Amino acid sequence: MIELEEGIRKGFRIIPIVDKEIRQLVRDPKTILMVLLMPITVTILFGYGYGGKGAGKYPITVVDLDGGDGAFKFIQELRNSKMFQIKAIYKSKGQGFSSVYSGEVYASLIIPETFTEDLMMGRPTRVELYYDASNPSVAQMIMQAVGVVTQQFQEWAAARFGTFAITPMFYTVYGPEIKKIESFIPTLMAMILQMVPTSLISVSICREREKGTFEQFIMTPVSVFDIIFGKLAAYFFATISDAILSLFTAILLFDVKLKGTFLDMIIVSTVFLLNSLSLGLLISVFSRNQLQAYQASIFSFIIFMLFSGVFIPVDVLSSEAKLIASFVPMYYFVTAFRNVSLKGWNYLMVLDQLTVISMFTFAFLALSLRFLRMEVT
Amino acid sequence: MLKTQRLEEQPELAVEAKNLTKRFGKFVAVDHISLEIRRGENFGLLGPNGAGKTTTIRMITGVIKPSEGYVKVFGIDVAKERKKVLKYIGYMPQKFSLYEDLTVEENIRLYGRLQGLTGSLLKDRVKELLERFYLWEFRRRLAGKLSGGMKQRLALATALVHDPTLLILDEPTAGVDPPLRRKFWEHFRELNREGKTILVTTHYMDEAENCDRLALMNRGRIIAEGTPREIKRRALGGDLVEIVFEGNLDPAALPGVKSVMEDSSERYLLVVEDAGRDLPRIVKKAEELGAKILVASPVHVSLEEAFIRFMGESE
Repeated sequence: MIELEEGIRKGFRIIPIVDKEIRQLVRDPKTILMVLLMPITVTILFGYGYGGKGAGKYPITVVDLDGGDGAFKFIQELRNSKMFQIKAIYKSKGQGFSSVYSGEVYASLIIPETFTEDLMMGRPTRVELYYDASNPSVAQMIMQAVGVVTQQFQEWAAARFGTFAITPMFYTVYGPEIKKIESFIPTLMAMILQMVPTSLISVSICREREKGTFEQFIMTPVSVFDIIFGKLAAYFFATISDAILSLFTAILLFDVKLKGTFLDMIIVSTVFLLNSLSLGLLISVFSRNQLQAYQASIFSFIIFMLFSGVFIPVDVLSSEAKLIASFVPMYYFVTAFRNVSLKGWNYLMVLDQLTVISMFTFAFLALSLRFLRMEVT
Repeated sequence: MLKTQRLEEQPELAVEAKNLTKRFGKFVAVDHISLEIRRGENFGLLGPNGAGKTTTIRMITGVIKPSEGYVKVFGIDVAKERKKVLKYIGYMPQKFSLYEDLTVEENIRLYGRLQGLTGSLLKDRVKELLERFYLWEFRRRLAGKLSGGMKQRLALATALVHDPTLLILDEPTAGVDPPLRRKFWEHFRELNREGKTILVTTHYMDEAENCDRLALMNRGRIIAEGTPREIKRRALGGDLVEIVFEGNLDPAALPGVKSVMEDSSERYLLVVEDAGRDLPRIVKKAEELGAKILVASPVHVSLEEAFIRFMGESE
């Protein structure tokens, strides 16, 4: 017989629960899929969909006002560089501009009328690049590439005609249809931080009920508090990587330039992540089975997306819709994260939003604690 | 501390249930049953599937609340002070209820920790249980990858992790093959000898013979209660004996005979009040009357037979 009383510690049984949950999460292929692959996949899709590096070649158009051999040679040089996909060669500037305005291409390169003549006479000349500045990273890459091509062409021309210099000139054009990936980062983060954690944790309690493990679990002196906070902590550790991964993917792969500091963005994300997890726990407390829990998570996700201002700004919605939006934590997150990531505010400046989000979190947790039954059905 | 001592000093009843009832809507799963399980005994709850055994067990462990009546475990009302009772109960549910995605060792360890064990105490206890139930070499295997018998052994080991005084086992041998079932009952007897009270449910009648006392359940009610022998006696109204003789004799007129159950010319099955007392008297009387007794022996009655009789009566 062992003397148990000596070994019995009062109170907290959270640590073994956290330990158990993390082990289970790590062993569940679903976790890897949802926590690791989903944020990366979604971020990459967003990145390509809303202006990343594309397939390696930048689509541009060329306006050849010169029509001579020099221009022909320059266009050939552009092709040889393998950096560009020349969509069309126009004869007028207007066509070139509209191809950038419409968002069809990133830039239009204009070769002036006297280009060949200037070359032959050994006079300094220029090429003009009109580019879409709403996507700074792409614009920068194109400018660099044009610079390189011009340089190479100049070397060739100098050897032959003794040309002084060919200067690339850059002009910006704002394409109204192309949106910056930066402005989508808050939406992206809201989606990832809502969908993954909520649906992942929403099955955690009802799965135990469904599989019958709950019956054995509640034969130990665990309390409702231990279960709720143990699961919350474990899933928090597992899903915080979500936020970090998404930010890193966006920053590294698509060269997203965010004004906010990493710390501020993580603080805001953490507050919202705890909210998503608490909502998931509440769903789990009330769901009879895993299917129900998933359905509830997806349903709440759709409502949240519609009323969080990611599609249509909440300000322009009807007053009824505004009222609904005021009960959507995601709305406050999108507002706060937008200010932090795009305007460079620190977390103290969005404390109002963070407080509202935390109040929802508190309410979700209180309801979960109140309604979790330590019984089997 | 004082309270704990008081509990330990209350030895007579491990479980006391009074008018225990559970309704699910209109369906009455358990219908006003009363049970008394003494400390240290091996008590069997017997009955067909759907008799209400699991519901009764679940009310005793407190994982469901009774609609009526109460259960006390070591004198503590389970519905009111469940937390106090938990450390005395080791429970093995009918369905395997451990985590299939944790290993054998992790499961035992988890439950040890949840029960409050720490440090070397925990380590030693886990090792002891792994060895005792022949799980040591499988300790790193995921519980979901174990065979049925190994799962049951793991469940038993886990139920024992906090060294409970009352062991509640719901169909512990369901789906386990016969040699292993025997092994399990050896474990139970051993635990019994260690002073643990065991409450076990089963629908295998042969197993129930191992219990000190039994309660037969059918349709949510207890239809008979007592030692296996008492129950059989009550089912027949006495003991069963067989006699074979030559000569002229009216078996019904023999001493102690209550009824004649089977009459196949010279072989008779008789119900007597007490086989030990009446059999010698029957032989003596028969010989006095000039008959020649060839066989006179008590007949083993199976619990199954007794049970079927009781079920017939209760319907």
